[in-house]
Amino acid sequence: MENIAPQVVFTLFNIPVRDTVVSTWVVMGLITLIAILIGRRQPVMLEILVDFLTDLISDLMGRPAGPYLPLLGALAIFIAVANIIGIVPFLRSPTSDINTTLALALVVFLSVHFFGIRIKGFSGYLRDLASPIFLLPLELIGQLSRTLSLTLRLFGNTLSAMLIVAIIFSLAPLFVPLPLIAFGIFTGILQAYIFTALAAVYIASGLEVIEPNKEEAKEKRKE
Amino acid sequence: MENMDPATQVTLVTIIVAGMGITIGTAVPAIAEGLAAFKALDGIARQPDAAQDLRTTLLIAMALLESTAIYVLLVILILLFANPLINRFF
Repeated sequence: MENIAPQVVFTLFNIPVRDTVVSTWVVMGLITLIAILIGRRQPVMLEILVDFLTDLISDLMGRPAGPYLPLLGALAIFIAVANIIGIVPFLRSPTSDINTTLALALVVFLSVHFFGIRIKGFSGYLRDLASPIFLLPLELIGQLSRTLSLTLRLFGNTLSAMLIVAIIFSLAPLFVPLPLIAFGIFTGILQAYIFTALAAVYIASGLEVIEPNKEEAKEKRKE
Repeated sequence: MENMDPATQVTLVTIIVAGMGITIGTAVPAIAEGLAAFKALDGIARQPDAAQDLRTTLLIAMALLESTAIYVLLVILILLFANPLINRFF
């Protein structure tokens, strides 16, 4: 475990700072820098990215992406860059630390409730959460378990990609691990897409208004 | 087996269980993912217009199926690199 757990680099006010935190700062700086540079030189490229994310999110949620784009787009860009940064020597991908992925999943968990309460109001959100009332425990277990599964999926994928490259590198260095590194980049981007898609689906499920009498509602819509 | 010390026995059993567990734990989700892809491709072949919807749903379903394999991998990694049972016998 000493080899695959994040290493403490230095301590700041008695708080140990691990190498994944340092590479998180590198990722944050890199994204900001690239965004500013491209925004000055070629703003069209940023518009293409924003259009792509807007289409993706509105397709997945089935409603306009407007209020959810900042959160979900930032998640997608951060996770994609964080997964790819692992190929840079001496930098460890931040998502191979379970604390990072748990933090990201908790952000999604809280934002589901935040957007739900903002759209439907507190009592309306609670009524939809507990409808019918005997399914409330199942609903709560579902909320917690999908947060756990978001955490473990991203963590396990990144860590396993890293471990496989390390093992193959110790057996046959330099050229044999290259296809596996390329595969790691592919799965990293795919995991960013999947995390964003699942977050969008979860938020959309929190926004759904459950009508008590479906037939009545259908007839109302027909009129 | 009896004349080994307990830590060696635990390590031996852990290695056997890790090998068996990762094999079964990845084979079953792989079969499930194959079934999902089979049905989705079948649907796309019958109705190419629905390809976009099917692709999105397929990717999300694949991610959910994949996570069971990831759970197995994490359990095996804990058993191999941070086995909580070994220290009990020292």
